[in-house]
Amino acid sequence: MKKQFIGKINLIEKVSIDAYKMEIFSELEEAYPGQFISILCPTQTLRRPFSIAGFDKEKQLTTIIFKLKGDGTNYLKDLKIGDEINFLAPLGNTFEIENKNCLLVGAGIGIAPMLFLKKELDKKNIKNYLVSGFKSDDEVISGSDENVVGGSVLDNLEQIIKDKKIEIVYSCGPQIVLKKISEICLSCDIESQIAMEKVMACSIGVCRGCVIRLAKENEVVYASVCKDGPVFKGSEIVWE
Amino acid sequence: MGIENLKTILKNERNDISFEIKTPIISASGTYGYNTEFADFIDLNCFGAISTKGITLEKRPGNSGDRIFEVQNGMINRIGLENVGIDNFIKEKLPVLREKNIDFLLNIAGSTMEDYEKLATIANDNGIKALEVNVSCPNVKSGCLEFGLNPTSLFELVKKIRRSYNGFLIVKLSPNTSDIKPLATAVQSAGADCISAINTLRGLGVKIDFAGNKFIKKSVQGGLSGTCIKPVALFMVNQIKQVVDIPIIAMGGISKLSDLFEFIAVGADAFQIGTMNFIDPGICTNLALELSKFMDENGFKNFDELKGAIRNDQ
Repeated sequence: MKKQFIGKINLIEKVSIDAYKMEIFSELEEAYPGQFISILCPTQTLRRPFSIAGFDKEKQLTTIIFKLKGDGTNYLKDLKIGDEINFLAPLGNTFEIENKNCLLVGAGIGIAPMLFLKKELDKKNIKNYLVSGFKSDDEVISGSDENVVGGSVLDNLEQIIKDKKIEIVYSCGPQIVLKKISEICLSCDIESQIAMEKVMACSIGVCRGCVIRLAKENEVVYASVCKDGPVFKGSEIVWE
Repeated sequence: MGIENLKTILKNERNDISFEIKTPIISASGTYGYNTEFADFIDLNCFGAISTKGITLEKRPGNSGDRIFEVQNGMINRIGLENVGIDNFIKEKLPVLREKNIDFLLNIAGSTMEDYEKLATIANDNGIKALEVNVSCPNVKSGCLEFGLNPTSLFELVKKIRRSYNGFLIVKLSPNTSDIKPLATAVQSAGADCISAINTLRGLGVKIDFAGNKFIKKSVQGGLSGTCIKPVALFMVNQIKQVVDIPIIAMGGISKLSDLFEFIAVGADAFQIGTMNFIDPGICTNLALELSKFMDENGFKNFDELKGAIRNDQ
């Protein structure tokens, strides 16, 4: 059940030139890859959504990885171990895990949910390969099977899909990359599951502020990223 | 400790009609969904009422493009009244409200007078106890000027709705006017039972990023809400109170106990909370509990007594 939690920072560390990893100790009991948490960043009006990058039920730790973007993330980076943090969780839907040859693509900070997904796939002994793309060496966040630095994570995608006999692609990152990934998957005739990002207000599906367009049965409908998503079938997304 | 001391009766002596709620704190339209969306976060037993998402005659998809823009101490939205339409509301959402025993105001919006009349008739036929009319919609027949900004058209609109609806009729006023008094007067003379105020303020959010030697502009025009609008809301409620004697439900930037007192001081009989629900999803019940405790500890037996004390002590 989704709830409001007051957690405690268990760890905060810099993982690249402009990204941080944070572990939060809380009473959150379950979380699955694709889901996110929505953190209150005081002085900012709206909560900030972050993909869950890891969850350890035994140790009661939820991990997020965030890139410095503005006032919200700057507030987070200055928190210290032991500080309290107010968040809503677990929010949104999840990646549908299938026993297939999986390719995971993380573009930039989009690697965060991919790391969680990879761990779950590994636990289930599902074959997977994580490729992440970063603009430069100092932006690299570790944990992938392959890093593409400087170029585009898209460059060798079709080759990887062929070579590794990929049957499904999971991805998160900037919209422009996600759009291309979903197009590549359509042309290769394989399924893609895409985690979308949008500015959110309520983060629980009531305000309808974070909608994207989906093509469903010859009709275009609005779906909220926070509740109907954040994970959507790439083939259904109507890209802006 | 119960919250019986918060029982609130909004009464229009003119029409001899009243609307009773468990607490004076109502969730504002568009911030709480249709019925039980917040049930994970709140105790429905300590909950005043929900003002439903704005309902139109037909279902509406809402606006395309960005709908939310954060500003300092507030936000701008341009959702575009996305909603399921009255038929689906009656079929799917209303039974849940009734089953869970949740008090609610049905918030309605239209683009012609006939839309509003039809919606009011449907509400009446379905025994809906309270109707909140959003009059900040463009009137298609009058060149899309808002219904709620002209006293004559507002009077005519409310009169028509009144004829079709026998329940507790609340009209939600827009602050986007140079003088809200004639609008409040028009609403009362047309037979409404209560005024809620204020709706969002018109605002424009602009963001300029400088990247790759180029300026990139992003802007969202819509309704401004949040704590930044509280002084405007206080001003408007104060103005309305000077010209009407029907109850007033105040809203605009309410986030804490002292805000409730301030709004009572200028004429509020109940409150709505909007944007703050996004920050603290438990606020509607938490604030009710806090208010109830304050009254207990300070010897106020009921909400009317508290209101009286705040107003007389000024």
